[in-house]
Amino acid sequence: MYCERLKDLLADYLVGELDEKTLAEAQAHLAGCAACREELESLSAIWTKLGVLPKEQPSAALRSRFYDMLEAYKEGLKRGGIAARPLQSLSSWLSRLVPRRPAYQLALALVLIIAGLGSGYLLNVRSRSNARFEVATLKHEVNDMRRTVAVSLLKQASPSERLMGVSWSVQLDRPGDEIIAALLETLDHDSNVNVRLAAVDALYLFYDHPEVKERLVRSLAGQTSPLVQLSLIDLLVGIRERRAVEALGQLIQDHKINPKVKKRAELGLAQLS
Amino acid sequence: MEPKSIWVSPNETRRFVDPTSDNRLMEEIKDGRVERLAILFERYHVMLFNFFLRLTGNRSHSEDLVQDVFFRILKYRKTYQGQSKFSVWMYQIARNAHVDHLRKRKQEMSLDDQFEEPASAETPAVERMSAEIDAALLNRALDRLPLRKKEVLLLSRFQEMKYREIAELMGCDIGSIKSTVHRAIKDLGRIYVELQGGESSCTAKD
Repeated sequence: MYCERLKDLLADYLVGELDEKTLAEAQAHLAGCAACREELESLSAIWTKLGVLPKEQPSAALRSRFYDMLEAYKEGLKRGGIAARPLQSLSSWLSRLVPRRPAYQLALALVLIIAGLGSGYLLNVRSRSNARFEVATLKHEVNDMRRTVAVSLLKQASPSERLMGVSWSVQLDRPGDEIIAALLETLDHDSNVNVRLAAVDALYLFYDHPEVKERLVRSLAGQTSPLVQLSLIDLLVGIRERRAVEALGQLIQDHKINPKVKKRAELGLAQLS
Repeated sequence: MEPKSIWVSPNETRRFVDPTSDNRLMEEIKDGRVERLAILFERYHVMLFNFFLRLTGNRSHSEDLVQDVFFRILKYRKTYQGQSKFSVWMYQIARNAHVDHLRKRKQEMSLDDQFEEPASAETPAVERMSAEIDAALLNRALDRLPLRKKEVLLLSRFQEMKYREIAELMGCDIGSIKSTVHRAIKDLGRIYVELQGGESSCTAKD
């Protein structure tokens, strides 16, 4: 029956992709079949209605975040890439130079080893001071790059990538406000306990940073996992943060609190006051 | 740095852009000229943003997701094969990013969303502008469609994807895409009418 066939055609009809012949057939059928006509009308009405949904514009932050990410990626590539790409073409180029017969290959290898040892000895003497300078600048650049990558990783969907983000941040010499903010955000809102725990450990290294102590104190009240609560208490007591006294007091008052956490909070309170 | 003025809107640009040039850009990006991604970003980010906005209903999540898609494009650029259209590949990535996002949200759901949900589910019935009400109703109706139907509908209606391309990116045959479109639009119409009828009494359970 044509009614069934029309169902198959509907999707193409909606986007205007029916060829003329099929369209004519369909129209001929519709002229005589009220049920199909009604269905088609109601379905195309809703299809058309979808057009009222306005096209939204994202905020300007999206664009600037994208360009930051692209810039960081480019930088990372420049450093990682220099080693990787020419090496590939180098090996194909070398393979053409190497003789086929094993005896010659062995001879060539020996010559190269001797030449390598000799020149290595000469170079070593000359370049030691130069290298030290290069390493210093490289270290600085790697630090910059690491910072951007760490922030990106902290925003990833998978917990393991976010964990990696935390451990990248720890390796930074000067973390910068952005990293600190991202770590604090992770501590307060990450859905994964392990990631939050790692963030506590990472923030321990940066507690000298302005606002960090304050935020750690505030975070204690918002944490739900006993593990995170315990390690936050340890941290705050460890750095002798006086402002934690009130938060610890509240924690002890809380009836739903895990007994171990309560005990540790009491102990911490005694140590602080 | 005012790239916006060149690419007025994705709709408009699509007409002038030679589709092969997406591919050419990707080839260059694969070759290490990653800065060329900026052109693809300017070309597609608004469209992607709207795709995610209709899937998630949340602006800031949608922006995160757009950023995530472009990050993944860089990360997986070597796996791009020139045979399929760039947008097909891009929406594949977009769907994966969305699935990961849902998984992540699900874990967080129990914590914060139980407080947020009721507020956002209310009908903004303050303004009596019919187009706005229509849009709000349609969005709510779209929200009730199962994910697959919703995706297929969005891709075909708003993202300018051909059924053939949607089939390719979802890894199924074109016939099933067409019938999904049919069923999705039918369901949507039914839900829409329901919502219209019970706008205030709100049987908004599932």
